Amino acid sequence: MKTGTKKASDNKAGTRKVSENKVSENKANTGKTKAGNHKGKAAKTDVSKTGNGKVAHDFTAPEYYTNRELSWILFDHRVLNEARDKSNPLFERLKFLSITASNLDEFFMIRVASLKDMVNAGYEKTDISGMTPKQQLAALDTAIHELVNLQYSTYNRSLFPALVQNGLTIVKSHEQLTKEEGKFIDQYFEENVYPVLTPMAVDSSRPFPLIRNKTLNIGAMVRGKDSDDELEFATVQVPSVLSRVVELPERDGMRRVIFLEEIIERNINKLFLNYDIICAHPFRIMRNADLTIEEDEAEDLLQEIEKQIKLRQWGEAIRLEVEAGTDKRLLQFLENELSLGDDAIYAIDGPLDLTVLMKLYGLDGFQHLKDPKYEPQAVPELPAGCNILEEIRKGDILLHHPYQTFTPVVDFIRQAAVDPNVLAIKQTLYRVSGNSPIIAALAQAAENGKQVSVLVELKARFDEENNIVWARKLEKAGCHVIYGLVGLKTHSKITLVVRREEDGIRRYVHLGTGNYNDATAKLYTDMGLLTCSEPIGEDATAVFNMLSGYSEPLFWNKLSLAPLWLKEKFLYLIEREKKYAEEGCPARIIAKMNSLCDRDIMAALYEAATAGVKIDLIVRGICCLKVGIPGVSENITVRSLVGTFLEHARIFYFENNEHPEFYCGSADWMPRNLDRRVEILFPVEEPALREELWHVLTVQLADTLKAAVLQPDGSYEKVDGRGRKAICAQAQFAAEAVTKAKEAAKLTAAQDVKHKRTFTPAERREE
Amino acid sequence: MKTFAAIDVGSYELSMKIFELSGKNKLREIDSVSQRLDLGTGTYATGKISADKMDELCRTLKEFTKIMDSYKVDDYKAYGTSAIRETSNQMVVLDQIKQRTGLDIEVLSNSEQRFLDYKSIASKGESFRRVLEENTAILDIGGGSIQVSLFDNDTLVSTQNLRLGVLRILEVMKNIKATPARFEHLVDEMVMAQLSSYKKLYLKDREIQRIILIDDYVSPWAVKQVGRRKEEAAITFEDFDTLVSYWNKNEISQLAKKLDTVEEKVPLVFISSIISKHVAMMMGAKKVWTPGVTLCDGIAYEYGESIGMFKEEHNFEEDIVACAMNISKRYQGSQKRAETLEAITATIFDSMKKVHGLGRRERLYLRLASILQDCGKYISMSDIGTSSYNIVMATEIIGLSHKERELVANIVRFNHIPFGYYEQTMEQQQMDRQTYLTVAKLTAILRLSAGMDRSHKQKLKRIKATLQENELIISADTMEDLTLEKGYFDSRAAFFQEVFSVTPVLKQRKKI
Repeated sequence: MKTGTKKASDNKAGTRKVSENKVSENKANTGKTKAGNHKGKAAKTDVSKTGNGKVAHDFTAPEYYTNRELSWILFDHRVLNEARDKSNPLFERLKFLSITASNLDEFFMIRVASLKDMVNAGYEKTDISGMTPKQQLAALDTAIHELVNLQYSTYNRSLFPALVQNGLTIVKSHEQLTKEEGKFIDQYFEENVYPVLTPMAVDSSRPFPLIRNKTLNIGAMVRGKDSDDELEFATVQVPSVLSRVVELPERDGMRRVIFLEEIIERNINKLFLNYDIICAHPFRIMRNADLTIEEDEAEDLLQEIEKQIKLRQWGEAIRLEVEAGTDKRLLQFLENELSLGDDAIYAIDGPLDLTVLMKLYGLDGFQHLKDPKYEPQAVPELPAGCNILEEIRKGDILLHHPYQTFTPVVDFIRQAAVDPNVLAIKQTLYRVSGNSPIIAALAQAAENGKQVSVLVELKARFDEENNIVWARKLEKAGCHVIYGLVGLKTHSKITLVVRREEDGIRRYVHLGTGNYNDATAKLYTDMGLLTCSEPIGEDATAVFNMLSGYSEPLFWNKLSLAPLWLKEKFLYLIEREKKYAEEGCPARIIAKMNSLCDRDIMAALYEAATAGVKIDLIVRGICCLKVGIPGVSENITVRSLVGTFLEHARIFYFENNEHPEFYCGSADWMPRNLDRRVEILFPVEEPALREELWHVLTVQLADTLKAAVLQPDGSYEKVDGRGRKAICAQAQFAAEAVTKAKEAAKLTAAQDVKHKRTFTPAERREE
Repeated sequence: MKTFAAIDVGSYELSMKIFELSGKNKLREIDSVSQRLDLGTGTYATGKISADKMDELCRTLKEFTKIMDSYKVDDYKAYGTSAIRETSNQMVVLDQIKQRTGLDIEVLSNSEQRFLDYKSIASKGESFRRVLEENTAILDIGGGSIQVSLFDNDTLVSTQNLRLGVLRILEVMKNIKATPARFEHLVDEMVMAQLSSYKKLYLKDREIQRIILIDDYVSPWAVKQVGRRKEEAAITFEDFDTLVSYWNKNEISQLAKKLDTVEEKVPLVFISSIISKHVAMMMGAKKVWTPGVTLCDGIAYEYGESIGMFKEEHNFEEDIVACAMNISKRYQGSQKRAETLEAITATIFDSMKKVHGLGRRERLYLRLASILQDCGKYISMSDIGTSSYNIVMATEIIGLSHKERELVANIVRFNHIPFGYYEQTMEQQQMDRQTYLTVAKLTAILRLSAGMDRSHKQKLKRIKATLQENELIISADTMEDLTLEKGYFDSRAAFFQEVFSVTPVLKQRKKI
């Protein structure tokens, strides 16, 4: 027991160190914001009169902003609404509920943990909405409990009965099993579960064991058989190597499943043979996982990250989830051991860890209750088997994932890897899928004697372990691997292929808003640009030179980079619209991103809106900006799209007095993106591609089914679709991609006839 | 098409540019990397490069070689400038670099470096042609010194090095604890003190239409303002005033942001802009043009010339000659005699090609020696040789390395005094054998030629020279008495014969 306590205090010390860093960082940031914010400097009150009688606002006043954490909760509510929306197929609703749960887990580990660190460190500086960390935590406590209650009432009152109606029963507890099912389960336990369990008991000689972050466990209070000894604590982890959903034999045409923890609970006496089991309940703990790497001290970044990953499982506990009705003695024991307050305890009315619903979604059958699987479509400009570099030479190509397939991006690297004239391939990798074909292609290129440089961002949250494996693999193949940059995350998505051609070096570049991850490219909506434009190629070379530690180029032709230039660029673009508005010229901004919480940007938006710029924002997640503030943000609309695919693209439109400019990029309007990450914003300049982007933005603005609009009171409401044509942007893009691909295929077939001068007889169709 | 890497081992930065060279003088920059590495401060203070700087230097150069490999470059040229130049153990340093990176670094003298800077403007093509159309001054601002060169109708009129580099001035400002507000005034005073004498000497009433600025301080800022796509960027007086006014009002960190540069460079930008502004004002130029070129551009251009890929649009050799002529003029050398000697030496040099085996560059040395051979007269009529030698050694000739200048100075000297044999004197001068032989050969030609114009009356016309077996038959038209010339010719023929084993014979063609 003693050892356990000691460890806990060690951890605390560790966390405090981290939080102190964070505090100073925040302080620095606040200072910077203030300094940079020349507009708000003069006015102390929110509104004052300027010399010419016009009302001048302090656009940085706290009442103009929403706290980012509370805004995030609203986002998770919007996802939850999809789970509650009966017009969605039942199994899709399960998926949405599961997503809200995994979202909340991450939110806890990062944001709540971080706030707790701040409170522990005595940090009292307010955020942009004027709340201290303590106030934020208090507000979150209420908000999260409400959210969790809604999650479970959705599960219990809506989804569970609907599943029963559709022929699937989740047996809530092992006590509800029939005799035959009990037998079946016990046999399953002995054959499959028992061998992988590691039961642990705690007594004076054995300390409280390490309960791993996010794992599901069963805790029990036990007493030695035939003794009057004190109660002891015992625990066993529900093994993650086994499926948590176990299907029972069908009964009366009804499919039945039970969760693994129930199976273990039923058989727990077999694990502690010398004890009587007094009570047994599942529990789950969440630990502080906001890992701040002390890079200055880290000799070798790779080793440091490996060390940190191990540490993460040991972080201070910040949440305990237990089944409602858990025995008080057990609960008390856990609370004491984990040093948790009441507010950190979540008594759950239903299965812990709803991400299990994703497993349920994976059950065979029930196809009619799921959205038909969407197959990403061929890109018309890049028919299968084409030479991608040759097609790029014909003109820039815009890719819209996941409506269009990600394969050309992989093929781009694959083809370059074997092209004898390609000299070098350079790429930034942030989150890579398991077994990534891109990694394989890069390794092959290196083996073919090309110079391959890869920046692997090891600091990509929760993906480090994965990334380290790939980084090592690439090094082995002879690639030059850069393990990220000290103090900055490299979030940009850029690939450069240098090829020697007859008239000299030509550079092919892919720029994207999403990661080079072929798996998420099927789920996330993102834009990509393939180009061999010389100015962009030069910039791309400069980007990789900078990532290799060389000085900045004399200047940039087309790209804007964070953390050095991007924020200024955005502020300039917003300011320019403002000027046009003041001159009575058309002025409009449409911006689509994941999150909006950078104060400088938001203040600039308020200022522009006040000057008359029409601003439409499509922000999927956090949005700290408020709409409808009289005289400040009446010209601003904010909408959020939550649908089958995760909205992930960052697209920006600036009217520029009827000479519109379109940009895409990797950065959100968040301080972390603009100040602490390497991000790239790139312009899209070919007229046809700009049309496409315009189409994407306008259709999303017209969405009536999946869009929720931010209200002046800070809530989000679904668009009132009455009297309007029902539009689901994601469905429309999906259908359009199918049509385009079909048309392109027809065209290719027609061209083939002319080319080959033969006809292809159609196969006989099966009836 | 050739791919070429130009490397500049500078005093505070290492940089490399990769170029593609194609016909029609096309130079395309395809990559550019630079890494700050302050070699200068340590070297200037101690004369040595510290071990850790050496490690970093070699590590970065090694990285450069990897980049070179990735582009499969056909060739490279790596030059070291003042920091390397001023290391006392230069040979050891260069050998270490060679061993650790495989790169051969050549060290540039100031005048060679400036000449390359000047060629870097030529790499810009169009804008260089415009330079030559007008009266132009090139202001080349470095860390240790600045170089001012004047052009008049396609010819270099003068070039002068002034020890007014930005780092040097900053050092002074720090020593006298100057406040930012006083900077402009103080820098102006410092610069003008030296420039006023320069003005008297060279500028006189000349009107300068434009100034071309080459520096690493103001230029990047100016180029950023207009973008690389434009051929060149111009700065007006207002721009300079704006820059200077920033300086007075803002903190360094804000300035760095405004100028989009690193903080340590900010004061240098201001000093450079003050110098540029005041030089422009003094010369009466309205605008300062910043082509945004660096030494690497010049290196690539020179390479293009050397492999015959670039046809010279401008004869750079003539600039070197013009420089020598200006020196001669300043010391009241005889222009007519110089012209005569140039003609005679050229004729003899060309006819003796098979024997001496020297090339075009050596022909230039001879030409320069012909121009400069009597400049010492200005100081001493009795010891022309030594005085001339000293003048040449003390005066920069743009485009010549120190070694080359020494070579020319020796030819000039031995034109007047008995030839010092290698074993006696040359060894003391640390001259290598090859250079020594060149000096001997060229001295022999110059001596012989000078003898042919002993009276300084340009008596010989239409001189022709033909090599026949072991005799060099030199024939010339003249009706005048050549007793004096013949006498000198014979006395000098001995040395000529000693060097070439060829006996010169002077034949007079009397034509009416």
